[in-house]
Amino acid sequence: MSVLSEQEAQRAAFARASAFDLRPEVWIPLVLLAGTLGFPFFLLVTSAFNVGDPEAFPAKVYGVDNFIALSGHLDWIRNTLVIAGGGTALGLVIGVVLAWIIHRTTMPGRKLFELLIAIPYPLGPLVGALAWSQLGAPRDGLINRMFGAITGIETHLINIYTPMGIIFVEAIFEAPVAVLIIGAAMQRMDPSLEECSSIFGSGKLRTAWKVTLPLMLPAVASAALFMFTSMIGSFAIPTMLGTSSRFYVATNAMYVLLQGYPPNYPLAAALGLVLICMTALAVWLVQRVLRGKSYAVISGKNYRPRQVDMGWITWVLFAIASLYVLLSLILPMGTLLLASFQSSNAISFNFPAWTLGNYKYVMFDFPTTQQAIINSLLLGVGTGVIGVLLATFIALATHRSRSDGRRLLEQMTMLPQAFPRLIFAIGFLWMILALPLKLYGSLFAVLLAYVIVFLPLAYRGMSGVVVQIDIALEEAARISGAGAFRILRTVTLPLLRPGLLATWALLFMVSVREISASLFLSGPGTQVLGPAIFSFWDSGGMPRVSALAVVQALIILIALTLVRSMANRGAKV
Amino acid sequence: MLALHRSAQTLSFGETQPRNTPAPAYIEVRDLVAAFGAKIVVKGVSFSVGRGEHLSLLGPSGCGKSTTLRCIAGLETPVSGEIVIDGNLVFSSAKRINVPTEKRKLSMVFQSYAIWPHMSVFENVAYGLRVQRVGESEIKQRVTEMLRMVGIEDYINRPATDLSGGQQQRVALARSYASRPKAILLDEPLSNLDARLRVRMRDEIKEFQHKFDLSTIYVTHDQEEAMAISDRIIVMRDGHIEQCGKPLDIYDTPCTRFVADFIGAANILVGTDAGEAPSGAPVLKVGDALVECAPGSELFPADAGSMHLAALRTVYPEMCRDAPPRPNQWAATVTRRVLLGDIVNYTLAWPGGDLRVHAFPNALFEEGERILLHIPPYRTVPVRA
Repeated sequence: MSVLSEQEAQRAAFARASAFDLRPEVWIPLVLLAGTLGFPFFLLVTSAFNVGDPEAFPAKVYGVDNFIALSGHLDWIRNTLVIAGGGTALGLVIGVVLAWIIHRTTMPGRKLFELLIAIPYPLGPLVGALAWSQLGAPRDGLINRMFGAITGIETHLINIYTPMGIIFVEAIFEAPVAVLIIGAAMQRMDPSLEECSSIFGSGKLRTAWKVTLPLMLPAVASAALFMFTSMIGSFAIPTMLGTSSRFYVATNAMYVLLQGYPPNYPLAAALGLVLICMTALAVWLVQRVLRGKSYAVISGKNYRPRQVDMGWITWVLFAIASLYVLLSLILPMGTLLLASFQSSNAISFNFPAWTLGNYKYVMFDFPTTQQAIINSLLLGVGTGVIGVLLATFIALATHRSRSDGRRLLEQMTMLPQAFPRLIFAIGFLWMILALPLKLYGSLFAVLLAYVIVFLPLAYRGMSGVVVQIDIALEEAARISGAGAFRILRTVTLPLLRPGLLATWALLFMVSVREISASLFLSGPGTQVLGPAIFSFWDSGGMPRVSALAVVQALIILIALTLVRSMANRGAKV
Repeated sequence: MLALHRSAQTLSFGETQPRNTPAPAYIEVRDLVAAFGAKIVVKGVSFSVGRGEHLSLLGPSGCGKSTTLRCIAGLETPVSGEIVIDGNLVFSSAKRINVPTEKRKLSMVFQSYAIWPHMSVFENVAYGLRVQRVGESEIKQRVTEMLRMVGIEDYINRPATDLSGGQQQRVALARSYASRPKAILLDEPLSNLDARLRVRMRDEIKEFQHKFDLSTIYVTHDQEEAMAISDRIIVMRDGHIEQCGKPLDIYDTPCTRFVADFIGAANILVGTDAGEAPSGAPVLKVGDALVECAPGSELFPADAGSMHLAALRTVYPEMCRDAPPRPNQWAATVTRRVLLGDIVNYTLAWPGGDLRVHAFPNALFEEGERILLHIPPYRTVPVRA
């Protein structure tokens, strides 16, 4: 009997395990990502410690003066934390309540609400800030005007130009993500776990506290992390609602530092570095909290969650869900529509005076906005296609390859999530200026930046789909004699198709609504919608900027509808 | 009835076991070592499968049986060893040969069936034929024929996801046989089916084997399945071959405690050497009981406490209230009785300790009743630890 001795086998296996097996499908994307992420980061770090010529990239003289200067502006960092912390807390409350209402109660119209609640996120913070500045401005905001007209009271009901106002708008426009993440976890939880708790005599509250909540914790924590990092880097809402009262957070402070004359690159870089450290800290904290808590019960198949009939409270829940849709979708979109028909900044209800001229102006007469619309469409399609292809390739590499370094590749792919997009865009801008490639001022540079900042989103989507495809489906094709390309064409891609479409649409929508990454990268000739709306807003002209925002919203809504109908048609697959 | 071959315990696993006519080795595995990272899961395994032979790899989960099968399929790359299929070296670590899966001309049935959900039943079965560039009319004819054989020709144009588990399993079988492979590998094909369906599909697989007479390697953790389906069984444990032989030989003469435990119901006796019976067979003293072992057998070397092991098959032993004295007959007390329908399980307080016994339900004994238990000596087989 020729059995290898234990030691021989051990030695053979160890020899193979210790031989570093790094294959091209892993190291090529790894190197590309490391370069495009590492170089901007390197420039940011060196600039943050630059005490010499502020326009030298990389810097030549180093010191900590910028951080000392920063300590005189601690209010920027404090404000950022207040907004992100408060917004996350409010967003979580909204997210948990709405997810629970949609998935765990018998409230009528749940399906419709599930659809409506998802819309504010792709519409985006720019639309939200623009609309709410017209709804909640202390003097001439629509809500205050109506309040005054009805009650005759002179003072305003709400003032959106306050930290509370900013937190409110941030929260209602990020909450859909929380509803999605927490709702998905609710659907994947085995209801027998809760049933078991009630069998043992626990009441509803005790079951919720002792069983449901701990099982939901990973989802709640990742929703919180997503909202917090997103709010730390958010630009449009704090700028549009905070600037008039000189309320600065880190992002718009950086914007001012960079747009000022002379621009203060090093101080902005130092501030950016502090922000990156804050998001990194948040990521680390959440991972620490979640260590060993990703329960296997929340994975794999979907269950039908146990739904509770709440009796008369159902109508309270219905009112809560309706209120959310009113505040995040109907009022903002209605206001923008209304404002876009006006011929002056003041909104009048004199119907005959309404005009479509603003649409004609932004779509046909004014070349800058016309170009912005076209560029945004191109970028949306391009980011979608390239992002989906790249993410699919990386997802297949991390889940199907036997190469070493797969974990590293996955972490590297998800890394841009920890960079606020505005800050990455600054580093990226410096990189393309430093490279001899003449990329600056080209749409391709914006495209590249979009692909990188949205790669985590795309990867998350595609890896979720790849994981669900039983590897045996591909192995069965190999056994049948099919080569790699044939398997890709006949098995892998058809199975990925619904996921490819959904991820493409998501990338399209976030690219069309994007502002933080394109604010510095787009310029004359490469105008895109987000910055165009922002600079329009900056220079006044509410009717025209509203019309442009409505156009942007329409593009996003059309994409959303198209994908839904395609997904429904392909649902049988 | 039993011919005990001492050589059975020193089997050379590298050689083909003769069936009725000696079959030439069709698939041959030599010194196969496979690992996941630094964890070795197959530790130097050698065996061969004859042309048309049905071999089972049997063992508990984690014993390396599936990995061995996947190495033969080319879905895993072994650390070392050689694999030959139909005279062609498809893997050799020394010669740096590794023929990719798709060129090995095998076929496989997966535990999860691996039915492509985006294709119809017809397209699933036709896939391998299309790869082989078989003509369209022949594909149609062969697929229809296969689906008729597995009894689901009515579903030919249905989406594959509309089928039940058993029907999906049939599609998987039809798909495997349709491409006329050199050999069929089955990786726990029945473990996702319910018990009743499992027995039915087992019989259908056996029928297929007879019809096509292809070499098959069948991986399972279910000893019943292995015994029912195969010409020869290899019992694997912890990455190596524990025993290899015909189903009945393995059942009757397990050579290790593990095999005795894994195949059928056996009580493992631990006792001291108490000399020889008149027949020359060894006698083991287990507690207060003297147990005569199978004629012609020998005890394996004792452990540190000079204890020897033997496996006692306690299936349908003689149990009665009164009988003349004879060897291997003891007085015992029924301590527990469990009725299972076709079978009764008794736990007996026996001079050598507790015994678990399967008996016919015809003559029932009450709990607490004293009885006489007789087990013929050939039911006691000395085993290694």
